Amino acid sequence: MLDEDVAEATLDLAALKADTLLAEVRLEERNSRQISIRSGQVSNVTKSSDSGMNVRIVLSNGIGFSSSNRISKSEGARLVQEAVRQAKSAKRRSPVSFSSERAIDTSWEVRQKRPLVEVSTDDKLEYLRGLDNAVMKTGAKVQGRYYEQRDYETASLLVNSEGSRIRSLLPRVVVESYNLVSSKGETEQSIREWAATGGWENVEAWALEGVLADEVRMLKRQIDKGKKVKPGVKDLVCGPEVAGIAAHESCGHPMEADRILGREMSQAGKSFVSPDMIGKKIGSRYATVIDDPTVQGSYGYYAYDQEGVKARPRYLYKEGLINEFLHNRESASRMNVQSNGASRSEFYLREPIVRMGNTFVAPGDFEEDELIGSVKDGVLMHSFTEWNIDDKRFNQKYVSREAYFVKDGELAGPARKCILEITTPAFWGAIDAASKKVVLTSGECGKGDPMQGMATDMGGPMIRLRSVMLK
Amino acid sequence: MNELKELARHVLEVARAEGADDVVTEAINSSIAQVRFSNNQIDCINSWNEKHVALFVAVGRRIMSTDLRALDSKDSLARELVALAKKAPPSKIYGGIAKGKFKYRPGKIDKRIVGLSDPSKYVLDAIEGAESAGANNIGGTFYVRHGRNAIASSGGAFGSDESASVDLSVRAFVQPEASGHAVCCAAKLSDLDARGIGEKAGEMGVRAKNPVQGEEGKMDIIMEPLFLGSVTQSTSHMMSAMSVEIGASMYAKKIGKRVASNEVTFVDDPTITSTSRRSYDHEGVPTRRNVLIKDGVFKTYLHNTSTAKRFKTKTTASAGPLIPTANAMAAQPLPFHPVLTPGDWKLDEIIADTKRGLYFNNTWYTRFQNYSTGEFSTIPRDAILRIENGEVVGSVKNIRVSDNLMNLWKSVDALSKAAEEVYWWDEASPPSTLPIARATGMNITRSS
Repeated sequence: MLDEDVAEATLDLAALKADTLLAEVRLEERNSRQISIRSGQVSNVTKSSDSGMNVRIVLSNGIGFSSSNRISKSEGARLVQEAVRQAKSAKRRSPVSFSSERAIDTSWEVRQKRPLVEVSTDDKLEYLRGLDNAVMKTGAKVQGRYYEQRDYETASLLVNSEGSRIRSLLPRVVVESYNLVSSKGETEQSIREWAATGGWENVEAWALEGVLADEVRMLKRQIDKGKKVKPGVKDLVCGPEVAGIAAHESCGHPMEADRILGREMSQAGKSFVSPDMIGKKIGSRYATVIDDPTVQGSYGYYAYDQEGVKARPRYLYKEGLINEFLHNRESASRMNVQSNGASRSEFYLREPIVRMGNTFVAPGDFEEDELIGSVKDGVLMHSFTEWNIDDKRFNQKYVSREAYFVKDGELAGPARKCILEITTPAFWGAIDAASKKVVLTSGECGKGDPMQGMATDMGGPMIRLRSVMLK
Repeated sequence: MNELKELARHVLEVARAEGADDVVTEAINSSIAQVRFSNNQIDCINSWNEKHVALFVAVGRRIMSTDLRALDSKDSLARELVALAKKAPPSKIYGGIAKGKFKYRPGKIDKRIVGLSDPSKYVLDAIEGAESAGANNIGGTFYVRHGRNAIASSGGAFGSDESASVDLSVRAFVQPEASGHAVCCAAKLSDLDARGIGEKAGEMGVRAKNPVQGEEGKMDIIMEPLFLGSVTQSTSHMMSAMSVEIGASMYAKKIGKRVASNEVTFVDDPTITSTSRRSYDHEGVPTRRNVLIKDGVFKTYLHNTSTAKRFKTKTTASAGPLIPTANAMAAQPLPFHPVLTPGDWKLDEIIADTKRGLYFNNTWYTRFQNYSTGEFSTIPRDAILRIENGEVVGSVKNIRVSDNLMNLWKSVDALSKAAEEVYWWDEASPPSTLPIARATGMNITRSS
């Protein structure tokens, strides 16, 4: 149990300072477990508990954030002293301000049908060995095999000088796979992740033995039968995984207000989007991208952000227009709006910054076979391997992991390493259809300094891009 | 420091008494302050204070590890871990920990860094420096780090180490698409010239003014240490024996084979003075200089005791952290301080010798299609200068290097005499000491 007395005593000390605009104290505790196997053998078994606290002090001329892996009133007092000293030494020329938000007093948690803590190490190992066996049984030569399962519960208590008191309990579970398949002297690689909030029931629902067996068979097929795409302008149908990475990289990130304002300029970069671009055209009417942390069971789920603001869906691009940025309280104040609850922190050791939750392309009204059926000469890119995007989020590249040629509306054999290298407006402007079903995939989003890996989902329906250059 | 050593030894003894055969404990006490700045002013000052013990135990071949962070309960947690290990499934690939009488040479720290009370001053100097060079929008980070560490193992390791360093990263914009980036890593405060780093970033931003759309095609590329630091991160991780084992390395079966041009000698050297100097690896084996590529020929993988046993060789004292991180498996052999041996060129000579090429200040987002073959792309950022017939003739933007990493190293034909230590964010990491390098005929692509 996190000690509310420590939180309140520390907050009292922090709020005593006459010039404090805002004081926050966050106590957190995490119990985590991790097990991995490589080539069928135990590689690592780790079990850890961690708890600590932080103090964030906002003064008009600076912000100080101090943290420690000790929780006590005396440590809290030391952190207050340190954070105040730090905030004062910032000497900002333009004053700091935070949006005014309603004080919240609540508790929330994600329930587990099969609690993670009740699944034994032996059972987890058996589960991973089952994945390994399923892959080996395919007969494909899988020379690199690494499977990892990890889970944790994070208990958090956030109190602030405006009256918010938020208690939460968030369990998360993750499975990662790495496979390297070889055939005929060539190799193909697949690195994948499945993750959710909740208990072991999620792992059971993923049915990964079949998924991974299919994955290595597909990689072998890519090597044995895949052909390179002849470079040229073609139609491209993107599967949900590809739609999702585009939603995350070329919509979610450039729509982060802290990035737009330059706060990440020397690390994750700035944005091609400027504050005055709300309402500007970015794509076709099918370019609607939503960031929604409230999707139940999703990896990026949360009910309240780490500044105490209630989470809600954000329509970032809406029917082809730039619609709403992702905000924390500081960026919202700078742009004269309310925070939309996008302030997240990896753990108590890190300051909260603007982050995505679950970012996905909105569904359309087409059946999947309709999307492909009207393509005369194109490619279906189901999934990707190499990807990247520049630091203003304008030039991106996706290389297929699984792809197929499409001829006269029919799939026509595997296409190998199909490359899409395209600008952000060109990508979102080329969409002329989206299917009805949204599928989410999970990933660890990297941002912040020090890097904060953040639990996110991304996805979408199948989307069709007309006349794009493929290599 | 004695307190940390005693803490490490105490946890070791508790685990041994409970029945663990192999034990490694690493007691860590770190204090880090960071000043974050953007738009020419300080955004936030952060500090992190941590004291904890990383603990690895093996009962026979049954292995477990934990990060003991609730130190008031360290004894019961250590006992619990051993009890769990006794019930854990055995690992047939576990090969033990290092055994021996180890002697360490702890580094000396600059006490001025430990006592630094107002790090903001250096940031304000850097901003001023960049502004004086012509930049109008400046951001970055300044870190002050102090770490104390003690290690004890059932194999005979028992020692302590201390480090103190500062690192400054400055990105300076002159126009919205014209920027320069410069960094400084220093183990002595007197080696930090904050204003000079700001000026360097600003000057690079000025050179990058008015960029035009870059072209596709084969070009020679000249890479500053910051760019090369990012490439070095990918390269050196692939030298880990564990990366080789899971098929995530282009260096599998390459010992004794040519993997780079004659110019390239690549070393991991945690023993030299640097911000990542360390006296021992995470098993307690004294660190040493490991030559990984000698004159273009691959010499050895990075090993801990367990991987060395599987590869029928000896540890290179490269055992990584006992607790897995976002980028590494538990105890994965890792480089601590990569060094690319400098050449004999001056930068002016390299540029004068380049007929058609690009000069890169920095890069990010290096990603692979397949680690085992090395196909990758990376996105240059900050100044990208176009070189024609030995002269810089302008700057470009919106391009990507899309090639093969093995091919990049095989194409290196010039290295500068001067080298510098670089570290930046999660890209040029770990800290490395690198010259400027030229690789010929690399494939440049762009968005259509």
